[in-house]
Amino acid sequence: MADTTRVDGPGAQAAGDQPASIDWEGIEHSPEFQELVSRRRSFVLPATIFFLVYYMAFILLAGYAEDFMGSSVYEGLTVGYCLALTQFLMVLVLGIMYLRRADQEYDPLAKKVVDMAERGDLR
Amino acid sequence: MTVLAAINVEAVVIFAIVLAITLGITFWASKRAGSAVGFYAAGRQITGAQNGLAISGDYLSAASFLGIAGLIFLYGFDGFLYSIGFLVAFLTVMFLLAERMRNAGKYTIADVLAFRLRERPARTAAALGTLAVVAFYLIAQMVGAGVLIQALVGIDFSLAVILTGAFMLCYVVFGGMVATTWVQIIKAVLLMVGITVMSIFVLAKVGGSPIELFNRAEAEGGETFSLSPGTFLSSPIDTVSLGLALVLGTAGLPHILMRFFTVPNAKAARSSVVWAMFIIGFFYLLTTFIGFGARAFLGTGGEEAAGKAGNLAAPNLAQFLGGGEGTFGGDLFLAVIAGVAFATILAVVAGLVLSASAAVSHDIWSNIVRKGQDSDKEEVVVAKIAAISIGVIAIIVAVIGGAGLNVSFMVGLAFAVAASANFPALLLALTWRRFNTMGAVTGVLFGVISSIVLVIVSPKVWPGADGETGSPIGWTLANPGILSIPLGFIGCYLGTVLSKERGAERTYHELYVRSETGLGSEQAAAGH
Repeated sequence: MADTTRVDGPGAQAAGDQPASIDWEGIEHSPEFQELVSRRRSFVLPATIFFLVYYMAFILLAGYAEDFMGSSVYEGLTVGYCLALTQFLMVLVLGIMYLRRADQEYDPLAKKVVDMAERGDLR
Repeated sequence: MTVLAAINVEAVVIFAIVLAITLGITFWASKRAGSAVGFYAAGRQITGAQNGLAISGDYLSAASFLGIAGLIFLYGFDGFLYSIGFLVAFLTVMFLLAERMRNAGKYTIADVLAFRLRERPARTAAALGTLAVVAFYLIAQMVGAGVLIQALVGIDFSLAVILTGAFMLCYVVFGGMVATTWVQIIKAVLLMVGITVMSIFVLAKVGGSPIELFNRAEAEGGETFSLSPGTFLSSPIDTVSLGLALVLGTAGLPHILMRFFTVPNAKAARSSVVWAMFIIGFFYLLTTFIGFGARAFLGTGGEEAAGKAGNLAAPNLAQFLGGGEGTFGGDLFLAVIAGVAFATILAVVAGLVLSASAAVSHDIWSNIVRKGQDSDKEEVVVAKIAAISIGVIAIIVAVIGGAGLNVSFMVGLAFAVAASANFPALLLALTWRRFNTMGAVTGVLFGVISSIVLVIVSPKVWPGADGETGSPIGWTLANPGILSIPLGFIGCYLGTVLSKERGAERTYHELYVRSETGLGSEQAAAGH
């Protein structure tokens, strides 16, 4: 198949260790690959929507609710500063959550797909 | 800054130390940067933690350090809004691009597009996006460098720009990505140590209580400073527009994405983003102590000395914390912070030039002009020539444009182009089966042109006589993102559906599987 092995593409140099011809379409339709993609997507998609909404909500509050953001929680500590700190917290929590899931869940699934392809089960 | 009327001896000594260390690294790295994979990607042997530091060093420009501290000093809360956008952006990078770039790419953004699209138009479009971002960002950094070094060391603006450019080219040309990476790592460490020590000094002065710091800052607040938003960014739509460009633009910055090609695999790419999130998050948290500290201790009386954009607020605060003007401690602390700022600028411009030289040599020369028939050695030579040419052009433009060039406008433009041109094309190439070559080309063109046009007609460029807006078409926003980012996506969509080309759907299988699993991805170079 002409489009399965590229001699001039970015993959050319690395292709040395790979089987001469990989059935990319077959791998794409394999249940193992589909499981990897759907599991990753089930975390990444809602997480992306969440952080974009949460960030934009913060920006909109800063733009339209100046008084609320400037009101004091405790002396000079404002609502805006506290909400800003929750943005920092959100970044770290989502980052670590994704890292753990990827290491424990997605990487083993990806390895399964790669092993399968390298054994040639799908060629 | 009256002490700095003449050349600052302490600052010169600190600058010399920074340069000696970084040139030593470049000499050591020069033996490892001979091959293309060594020159562009440091042999893909950088660890996740090292890359996290290097990403921080690549990303945290002088605008982040001196600029944001200055904005917080002048305007209070609004300055902090920038920091949050810059940090949240790394979630976009992590969830959508970091691992996929590592799995699918080789040296440049264009590699990912060329994987499934027709090579020549796709690479040309991607190279255009990269060069546009780097041009605006690099010139902004060079002008910033000239202004700062002039103020901090006392040497002439033009000389400062030329020196910065010369050292930047030394790192890139002789040491490639290996030297650039280590310059960025050292800079990140220096910056973190510097800002941490300064923050401890600030907090010690207010009895260790951040609340007391806020109270003192508010008590010293002048006309513009406020703990509430709305002092600097007056229009809410403009704020949203800026926020969008920051959060999506980072994921389209070529010098940041290029860093993911330097690690051995997707796992390291992923962990490097989390390292960068911690380092950059901690850094931006501390900039609030610097900014509020400058307000609390320097007060309204310090506004003039801090300059129009507040850029010198942090160095002036360092001088104050060290014992004040004219004391040894004050001058030393000022010189150290100036040295940190200098290292900061060098690390960022080196990363920028490297990514632009890769677009010229790897995409345009090697794959378009020579159609992949050139040798590895030839590609590296061309990359070095490209780096020198780009560097020299940037120096000339910065010197001619002079200190009057509006730095923040060019940084905003760089992020807008990255968010509107590079980001939509990359994301859709990796995730949309139907996407094709025409879509990538029209998307990049829409993104680049709309960003540039909207900035040219913005009130920042046309200061109207009435003070309200001088934009010739009545466009009132300083930040184009809210319109240019959707236009970039619309360009990708229209180009795709209006073109009959369907071949990219077949090659999508390979890119899709490869980007998700790492099957067939570029391996780390062996034998180092």
